[in-house]
Amino acid sequence: MCDKDRLVSYLYDDLADGERATFERHVRECDDCRRELSALRGVRADLVSWSPPQPDFGFRVVREPKVVPMPPRSWRAWWTPAAGLAAAAVLVLAAASAVARVEVHSGPDGVTVRTGWAPASATVPDGRVGEAASQTARGDVILPASSDGMDRSIIETLDRRLRALEAASREAGSVRNASLTGAGSARPADADIIRRMRELLAQSETKQQGELALRIAQVIRDVDAQRLEDLKRIQQGLRGVEASVNAEAAGHRELTNYILTSARQK
Amino acid sequence: MASTDEELVARSQGGDLDSFNQLVVRWERPIYALAYRTIGREEDARDVCQETFLRAFRALKGFKGQAKFSSWLYRITLNLCRDWIRRERRQPIAQAPEGVDLIDLASEQSPSESIEDLVARKEISQAVARVMAGLPEDQRTAIILKEYHGLTFQEIADMLDCPLSTVKTRLYQGLSVLRRQLDREGVGRHHV
Repeated sequence: MCDKDRLVSYLYDDLADGERATFERHVRECDDCRRELSALRGVRADLVSWSPPQPDFGFRVVREPKVVPMPPRSWRAWWTPAAGLAAAAVLVLAAASAVARVEVHSGPDGVTVRTGWAPASATVPDGRVGEAASQTARGDVILPASSDGMDRSIIETLDRRLRALEAASREAGSVRNASLTGAGSARPADADIIRRMRELLAQSETKQQGELALRIAQVIRDVDAQRLEDLKRIQQGLRGVEASVNAEAAGHRELTNYILTSARQK
Repeated sequence: MASTDEELVARSQGGDLDSFNQLVVRWERPIYALAYRTIGREEDARDVCQETFLRAFRALKGFKGQAKFSSWLYRITLNLCRDWIRRERRQPIAQAPEGVDLIDLASEQSPSESIEDLVARKEISQAVARVMAGLPEDQRTAIILKEYHGLTFQEIADMLDCPLSTVKTRLYQGLSVLRRQLDREGVGRHHV
């Protein structure tokens, strides 16, 4: 019985020089071992043809990112371009409504008109606006500001009332001149007050426009800053996508090179 | 000049992930090939390959260099393959297609190889895969480690925890079965 261990060692060229020479002498004399050796060499040649597939590996060990507790999200974190635009619209409306609030104050120093966020201390029903405006000589009057539409109508009503008073004043002046009586001495003072009120209303309007412009500018600045922030975030996202695409392309290149090298070697 | 496995292992043990990933790149194909030839399924072999590196990474601190790093990886892979076979309770399945796709073959054809040779090679490859899948696990493992990974008898004996002579016996028995089966299937080029 031939030594199969020795045959396997010879097959894989794992014998020392002396042992190899001895085994080769044996093989020359033993037909069985010679045939077996040849057959096993054939099997080894067949084994070479079995190659595994070449998958795209791409497996790498990465450090686990540290888990940092998320801080409470500020309003800015929820801020999106759409939310920004909506908020801007609301702000503009609020600014316009605030601007439309008109306060008329009459005191010993004369009549003053103010606008802004100061709350109204008293309101006068719409139907009595003209009456309230005519009470300037007797005390404080604050025009109602219950809603935007009403404010506008109040201003228009006030304007109409002032025009009517002006016309009445002119008419009374001409009658006074004609009758030469001293009873209408207070009329020129009324006309002066009306004129001053008109001036103050004009000033107030200018001031309102200025405030509105300031508020709109502020909104535009906020929206612009948010837009820049959003753009920055989008760019960061794009850079991340680009990096992963590059990594994938590198993997494909590597695989292609490997296939080409393997093909050349074969 | 490329670093040796020992240098990369030492740096990895010091926390250098890049070094460990260099080891992954260097060894992922042989490890995948070992897993694929042992269990015969592409996707599962891929999972085993990935799991091998994960386990190696986790156990790296404990690797003292008693064996070569590659032998250590092979041992992990074989253990995982053994688990897989036990879990699946079945013989490895050789995923060899029934027919031979000429278009696929053309892409693998080397300039010096005729299409007839290529078809013959593919048929032998499929037959080898089939017969190998039917071998007892210890014989198959001995053949794979010796033929495809070039380990010495001693390295295989150490890895499989068996005497040197057992390795040679398993090899001889496995090759003899292959020879008979391939003869029976009428494939192979040098069988007597």
